[in-house]
Amino acid sequence: MIKTITLNNVLPRVFAGSEKESPVKDSQVWLHKLEFTCTNNYLIEAESGTGKSSLCSFIYGNRNDYSGEILFDGENVRNFTVERWCELRTHALALLPQEMRLFPELTTMENIQIKNRLTGYKTESEILDMLRRLEISDKVHQPAAYLSVGQQQRVAIVRALCQPFDFLILDEPVSHLDERNNAIVARLIDEEAKAQNASVIATSVGNKINLPMSIQINL
Amino acid sequence: MLKRNNVVWRLLRRNVSVSQIVGYALANLVGLSIVLTAIQFYNDINQVWEEEDSFFSKDYLIISKRVSGVNTLFGNTAFSERDIEDIKSQPWTRKVGKFTAAAFDVRASINLGGHGVSSALFLESIPDDFFDIKPDDWGFTPGQREVPIILSKDYLALYNFGFATTRGLPQLSESTIGKVPLKLYLSRASDNATEVYAARIVGFSSRMNTIAVPQDFLEWANDRYATDKNKMPSRLIIEVNSPGNPDITSYLEQNNYEVAGDKVDNGKASYFLSIITAVVVSVGIIICILAFFILMLSIYLLLQKNKEKLHDLMLLGYSPSQVARYYYQLVGLVNVGVLAFAIIILLVATMLWRAPLDELGVEGASLLPSIIIGVVIVGIITIGNFVAITRNVKNNFYGK
Repeated sequence: MIKTITLNNVLPRVFAGSEKESPVKDSQVWLHKLEFTCTNNYLIEAESGTGKSSLCSFIYGNRNDYSGEILFDGENVRNFTVERWCELRTHALALLPQEMRLFPELTTMENIQIKNRLTGYKTESEILDMLRRLEISDKVHQPAAYLSVGQQQRVAIVRALCQPFDFLILDEPVSHLDERNNAIVARLIDEEAKAQNASVIATSVGNKINLPMSIQINL
Repeated sequence: MLKRNNVVWRLLRRNVSVSQIVGYALANLVGLSIVLTAIQFYNDINQVWEEEDSFFSKDYLIISKRVSGVNTLFGNTAFSERDIEDIKSQPWTRKVGKFTAAAFDVRASINLGGHGVSSALFLESIPDDFFDIKPDDWGFTPGQREVPIILSKDYLALYNFGFATTRGLPQLSESTIGKVPLKLYLSRASDNATEVYAARIVGFSSRMNTIAVPQDFLEWANDRYATDKNKMPSRLIIEVNSPGNPDITSYLEQNNYEVAGDKVDNGKASYFLSIITAVVVSVGIIICILAFFILMLSIYLLLQKNKEKLHDLMLLGYSPSQVARYYYQLVGLVNVGVLAFAIIILLVATMLWRAPLDELGVEGASLLPSIIIGVVIVGIITIGNFVAITRNVKNNFYGK
């Protein structure tokens, strides 16, 4: 269980030396103290190239090329072992990567089950239910390679929801969805997050997810 | 096990190069078979030497001083304390035992089918721990009236084929002779007092050309009957660490010592066999090592090609060991298969040389040591592979 995620003076290593320049100088995240607390929803708005995917990666433990520190309930994540990260990713942290990262040779259901078999969180009918709500239930047995980007995005969202979490990190979750689908996805995510008493941290470069946000931050 | 329909395995088995793995398996099979077969051959052939002489193992040498004109005159073929200390200090010596000779007159009589035969005898003994096997009733406590004797096999042959046939006496086998009662007459030179002891032959030695009685008996008897009580031994038995060692031969020659039997020659043959075996085993091990590197390269290549998938699986929460498990199973399966085939080849090869060995009446050595060595080699290779896989998988944990 993670209650707060604290960013202390975090700066991506690529920005080292350009602290006085844009985008670091205008950022409310880099080189600031920032706290994400559970059950608040956060929207991080940014232009491309400001490092929002890097931020998601840092929090998810996928990258550690930053200075400063990130704390989970006061504990510096830099000391976490690989095993600890993997464990957190099955019951505390969920991520929707910007580039989805589906396995193209696996079908929709297999792509979701490869996560779900690890957590055992959803039943097959619950998964089918979510796919139906997102209007892609006819693609269940289709290899991910043959799905459109918008469809892939929805499959990846379902996959991210197949686990218990305290923080759900969504990196541009609706970048390839229209207004209607945005609303459907937002409702599903909202229900899941509320049911779990969890926080959503979503990024956007313009097309924001249609979710009630407690705090909006400019990266 | 690797289930065909397991989603993760379906992802990870992509890029598994069957030809590389078959190549590794064949190479490792060849190397392992050479190692196991050579070791088994060595053990089996060594058995020949050991079988030939079960009374003494081949690691024992019996030495005496060479009888020459000079020491015939001065009667000095005994080993001095200094000689013995010098032998003890040689690097190839494990321990040295002295032959104790009877320093009194002994006569033995035997009654065979009504014919009494009587002869002057000599008796010798060596410390008990130089015997490989000890007959059950070996030993002597004062007051005991029956003395156990171990005889050289040559003496029995001499009797059976030289004596018995010409004198019309019955030929004797090793087991029947144990039942023949003997009488020993021990006499003291100073007052000609003679005592009679019953004796029984309890075993035969093919290497020790003497009439051996328990050390306890001879010490006790020397004390009672001998006039010269501190006689130095004229023969020594040495336990050496490798009988074929050329240093031993040169040392013995330098000091003008003689070795009983063809121990040293046997030792030399065994020494050469061990050298040849070492060479063949090294070749086998080199092949195994090369095979190991083939597999390592193949694994590195495979993991390199599947880099992204490995990273993505860990991104989903799969731990490195959960991901690596599939590769462990693949490598483990291949290695166990190689081991099984190598053992089959070992068994077949063993059968080929066991037939001629059987004709010699030699039973082969146990296969267990060779099989254990095979398991150890495959175990080491497998652990090496596992460590490499784990390390490589972990390297893909962080993204860029």
